[in-house]
Amino acid sequence: MPVKKRALPKKSVSFSDDETLTKSRRSGDKNHSQIHDGPPIYVKRTIKTVPVHLLALLYYYIKLSHNFDAVTLLYMLIPLQLAYLTLQFNANTVYGHKILRLRMSLIPISLGAALVLTVPCMLIIILLGAPIAMLLRETWILSAHYCVLGLPAIYSIFKCNFKVGIFKKYFIAVAVGCWISCVMIPLDWDRDWQNWPTPLIMGAYVGAFVGYSIGSYI
Amino acid sequence: MMAKIVGLLVLQLIAILTFSAGFFPQKSVLKGDAEFLYHPEAHQHITPRFEKLVLVVIDALRADYLFQDEMSQFRFVHELLNKGNAWGYTAYSNPPTVTLPRLKGIATGSTPNFLDAILNVAGDDSSSSLEDQDSWLRQFRVREQTINFFGDDTWLKLFPRHFFNEVDGTSSFFVSDFEEVDYNVSRHLPQQLASQNTWDVMILHYLGLDHIGHKGGAFSTFMRPKHREMDSVIEQIYSSVDEDTLICVMGDHGMNDIGNHGGSSAGETSSGMVFISKKLENYDKPAAQQHEKLPIETKSEDYKYLTRVNQIDLVPTLATLFNFPIPKNSIGVLIPDFLRLFSPHEALVKLKDNYQQILSAAGQQHKQLDGVKAHIEHMRDLQEDLAKTATNYNYKLLSIGFVLLFLVTLKVGALSNKELNSSIALHLLVAVSLLLSFSTFGSSFVEEEHQLWWWSSVGLVGLSFVKAPRRAVSIFLILAGLRFIRGWNNSGQKYIYEHTMSEILKRHYHWQWVLNAVTILAVPLGRRNQTLRSNLTGFSLSAVCLVYKAAWNVVNGEQVPAWLQKVLLEILPDAAKSADPIEALKTQLVPMARLFFGAALGLVLLELLLHRLNRQSDGLLEKIHSTITTILIFQTSSTNIPQFLVFQIIAPLIESLWRRLWGSNVTALMTIGLVLQHLTFFQFGSTNSIATVNLTNAYNGVSENYNIHVVGFLMCVGNFAPAIYWSTACLKILYTRKPQYNKWQLFAASRLPALLFYCIFGCFLLGSCVIQRYHLFIWSVFSPKLCYYVSWNLFMHAVVGWVLEGLVVVLS
Repeated sequence: MPVKKRALPKKSVSFSDDETLTKSRRSGDKNHSQIHDGPPIYVKRTIKTVPVHLLALLYYYIKLSHNFDAVTLLYMLIPLQLAYLTLQFNANTVYGHKILRLRMSLIPISLGAALVLTVPCMLIIILLGAPIAMLLRETWILSAHYCVLGLPAIYSIFKCNFKVGIFKKYFIAVAVGCWISCVMIPLDWDRDWQNWPTPLIMGAYVGAFVGYSIGSYI
Repeated sequence: MMAKIVGLLVLQLIAILTFSAGFFPQKSVLKGDAEFLYHPEAHQHITPRFEKLVLVVIDALRADYLFQDEMSQFRFVHELLNKGNAWGYTAYSNPPTVTLPRLKGIATGSTPNFLDAILNVAGDDSSSSLEDQDSWLRQFRVREQTINFFGDDTWLKLFPRHFFNEVDGTSSFFVSDFEEVDYNVSRHLPQQLASQNTWDVMILHYLGLDHIGHKGGAFSTFMRPKHREMDSVIEQIYSSVDEDTLICVMGDHGMNDIGNHGGSSAGETSSGMVFISKKLENYDKPAAQQHEKLPIETKSEDYKYLTRVNQIDLVPTLATLFNFPIPKNSIGVLIPDFLRLFSPHEALVKLKDNYQQILSAAGQQHKQLDGVKAHIEHMRDLQEDLAKTATNYNYKLLSIGFVLLFLVTLKVGALSNKELNSSIALHLLVAVSLLLSFSTFGSSFVEEEHQLWWWSSVGLVGLSFVKAPRRAVSIFLILAGLRFIRGWNNSGQKYIYEHTMSEILKRHYHWQWVLNAVTILAVPLGRRNQTLRSNLTGFSLSAVCLVYKAAWNVVNGEQVPAWLQKVLLEILPDAAKSADPIEALKTQLVPMARLFFGAALGLVLLELLLHRLNRQSDGLLEKIHSTITTILIFQTSSTNIPQFLVFQIIAPLIESLWRRLWGSNVTALMTIGLVLQHLTFFQFGSTNSIATVNLTNAYNGVSENYNIHVVGFLMCVGNFAPAIYWSTACLKILYTRKPQYNKWQLFAASRLPALLFYCIFGCFLLGSCVIQRYHLFIWSVFSPKLCYYVSWNLFMHAVVGWVLEGLVVVLS
């Protein structure tokens, strides 16, 4: 089409710090070097970060749980996410060529942050189309799941002094999972699992599973 | 390139219309009058059980209005039902549940074809006439009995004048009229009942209850008084007729709780039916009625009260009771309770006659059956089969249309790929088109289409956020605006939310009118380069619009705050002085609307003239867009008007975001425009069901003897108002900055994405309709969707997108 595009600086999205650093050094881009001033931080590309526990929880939720009880699922998710953070995620996150041990004091802080984040998260879910005047408890539980699923990323953000850009892909992955799962809602099959917010919770788990598994490759 | 695209557009329209002509064929009907089929001579000796018939059709009389304790106020009918002078039924009315097809069913006993539902809206059309089709009215006429008719003039559209002796038709022209339509029917009663020897059949069709439903829903406060009024009409008739008169009270269809009808939900298809005669007391009551005390206290979820019959069963039942042959195309099964009025031998003759008649309609061979029950059951099976396969498709036209559209789609796809540089935006457009296309295969996705558009909008917003997190504030504002729009009305069939914005505004009408006034008066301020003249003319037009909307709502009994009424009477002193201000206001409506349309047209022409004189080469659309918006608001119902304020706020945000994010890519803007057009269309309360076609603004400025084309156009503008807004807004954005290229090249590039969308979507929808042509929901879900698609394509794409917007580009 003969419509001329305006000349814009070529934008590229990259989540790998190494690459950004080398690139910004090469191009002398001040913008980028300001953000990533510290040592490179990244998640290792390894099969060890695959969150198997999420699949197990999903199986439990779909097959075993009574009436798709999302609250029990949440109670089970929190310790498992902490274990995942300790044993898998943190163990494979590199801060300036080093793998640091889990700092215990940060865990309650990030848990608290996750709890606080449920409120804006809930607002955003409502903005994205959840009912306002009804089912608020369910919406809050969904946002709690969302934030706990993002817990490893929240911890790492605290740990690396708020370089959000590196870890936001995990939040996006969970959100995309929720978004895709919404397709199930309008179907007229009248199944229990179509009730708000069951399909979105399942979608969030699948999204988180995919995100944490392949996040480091993106 | 322009010529090529126009050629493809024309071919695409031809393809779709060809397909539709094959998909909605006129049903083939058996001509000629019916005769007795089973031992004709045996019928000669049977005497008719009744001599006179009074048919009282109460429009939209749902079953629970007659029988259920909480809803019903028909005290006299309940008394008769309990005494056994009346037999009550819940009559299933086949969808489409709108008046014209239902009356066809009630008269001929056949199932309607879908075209009738459209013709019901389209008005005067001779193709729906029943002059040559056999019906019970025709059978009465053949017997030289006189029929008097008072009520809804749809009957007069269906039957030629010579069928009736005395006639007074009322029209459902003003849906807001609850009283007069019914008074015009009832006023004939005293005279008619005093001279009963002059007629054999009297048909009354009351519209008021339906109007109340459309206006205020099934639980409207006007319902109860209306029930009592109808009840007293029945009492009046009952007390003055003898025992050889059969009174049949029935609804032509039901309604859903919002008060609409047309679809196939339980509420819409369950109408009430009561046969009343002093004679019935001598016979046993129907089984279901024997142990029930009317009114029934328990509420039935599926609106089933007493015995359930099919509405068209009325036809063979009347034929049996009045001893005339069952009309040829009828697939009704006589209501077995009425066989009690005959001797066992006569009953058998009547039953077998009905059986043979329905077999002949089905084209099946006679089977030997024993007993009443076996006959009735077999006839019910036949009826069910016949109702399903009521249409025959014209496969030749279907295949021509489909193949042609497929070829056009291939060509358009190739052209888009070449001309639109296969950018990300094009992929996005194809993704949205395919998403919607695949959804046409699921009936629930068609019903809940608004969810898919919301889903796409959220996806687009999310994508923008990922692409440009720094613009979070404007993205957040856009999302908030869209969320408001989404929460404004209920759409779809599945979820009904109580606290929608429009409901809240209806309750707090002060705020509604503050918002409406702000919205309407702020329209001229949305313009980019304002001048004193443009503001003065714009405000004057807005003022006329506001006054008209307020006056219309006052006349139609909607709540309008006192301050606005005061302003109204200030402006229209004639109305204030007269004895009946509302009546005086009513007479002002048509001239006021005409003044508005005239002024709007004049303003557009003025802008055009100034534009030409100043020899500017761009920005014409920018100048007339505020006038267009005012016209669109004029055609919008009052609870939806504030949505335009949201539009006006988010449109500039979307524009700047588009420039930053997409580098002014035309395809991207058109894709966003398409999504917004559809999203806002559904969030104005429209659905993919015929029931939500909004007629309230179709008569603005139209007098009694109206032109169907004008009304049709106004109806389209009214229903597509938000879509037109976004379509023109996108074109305006596109032409704001002086295009670097020829304006025609830009126009062609901007039309191609929509053409591609309509082509891809059309291919899948047509394919889906063909594959599912025997699906249970074909008439209630897929056919209406096809109609909506055709109207989107014809009106929004061809008329608005090409003709009107093309005209603006020519003139600019």
